[in-house]
Amino acid sequence: MVTNDDFTARLMNDMDPDLLDFVKTKVNTFIKWDLVRFFHENPNTADTIENIARYAGRGVVAVEPELNELVESGVMEVRHLDEIPIYSLTTDESMRHMVEGFIQACEDRHFRVKAVYHIIRGMR
Amino acid sequence: MQRVKTGIKGLDEMLHGGFLPQTANLVEGAPGTGKTTLGMQFIHNGISLYNEPGIILTFEEFPQQYYHDAATFGWDFRALERDGRLKVIMTSPEVSKLDLEQVGGMIETLANETGARRILVDSLSHFEKLTDDPVELRAIQYSFINALKREGLTAILTKESSALLGTADSDESIAFVADSYIMLRYVEIESAIHKALLVLKLRGSDHDKDIRQFEITPRGIEVQAKFEGREGIMSGSPHLSMADSFVRAFVKKDRP
Repeated sequence: MVTNDDFTARLMNDMDPDLLDFVKTKVNTFIKWDLVRFFHENPNTADTIENIARYAGRGVVAVEPELNELVESGVMEVRHLDEIPIYSLTTDESMRHMVEGFIQACEDRHFRVKAVYHIIRGMR
Repeated sequence: MQRVKTGIKGLDEMLHGGFLPQTANLVEGAPGTGKTTLGMQFIHNGISLYNEPGIILTFEEFPQQYYHDAATFGWDFRALERDGRLKVIMTSPEVSKLDLEQVGGMIETLANETGARRILVDSLSHFEKLTDDPVELRAIQYSFINALKREGLTAILTKESSALLGTADSDESIAFVADSYIMLRYVEIESAIHKALLVLKLRGSDHDKDIRQFEITPRGIEVQAKFEGREGIMSGSPHLSMADSFVRAFVKKDRP
């Protein structure tokens, strides 16, 4: 009998291990996915939580913890201007390359399905 | 005198060669008149024709919108960013103001990294969100413009006009702070909309005083001949000049 765990393992087997780790540890919610895609498409954006939430069409309460987790995982950077936190995509080239790889992989429907499945599973 | 050429057909001629270096140049007009297109063309021509890298600072439109709009004119902004000759930065007026006040801020760093000589600020109208006090607003805009000049940049600053036709009531104090002032207007002539361009001011230089027609072509903006035989162009609803009215009323046209 095939268990859910076996099915998941099979589903993730053919994923690039670096991308799988990126999905598991960095883009592990749909809000983070949206934010990463936004900053990839608009890579020189630097702004406050309030404005980034507005760009994303979401509330500050929803976006703030997700942005801070992206900072902790190295995808985003934060600096302070007059004590106001300003968020931007990391300048680290290897991380930017990983983001690029993730966004390119998302163009493949099968990858997206697997990533969505993983995120939903992680949210349970 | 050294000039910063826009590379826009007809406009450099109106500016007697181009903008003056390290100046702030205001382009004001209603939605859709071509302010952003003129600014993007200034940046693109700077990079491709004059080897002057550029920055686009946007306060509302997402950078991907600029990549898309530029591509319709055949300008590959993504490739220019990859080459390190262009940066499209999205932020807010409050952050850009604080950033430029700092030593080694993001805009200063990107300007140094790219060797930028030109900047498009789209649009200056968003600074109006920072304060209701016109004196404070003028001080903020003055400080912002000086910071751009400090970085060695020649700037195009767009400004939104609320009136689609004619003149709008708005705070024009920025016109005093800017070094040049270009107005873009819709003009209705015989039930068709045309576009008009006027160089109202060019500090430190003479300039063309004609009100010229312009078109947004697949290659970008092209400034054409002045409006002949019409008066009251900038009102949005021009009328025939006296001489042309006389000709039209009394001189017989040849009939086939």
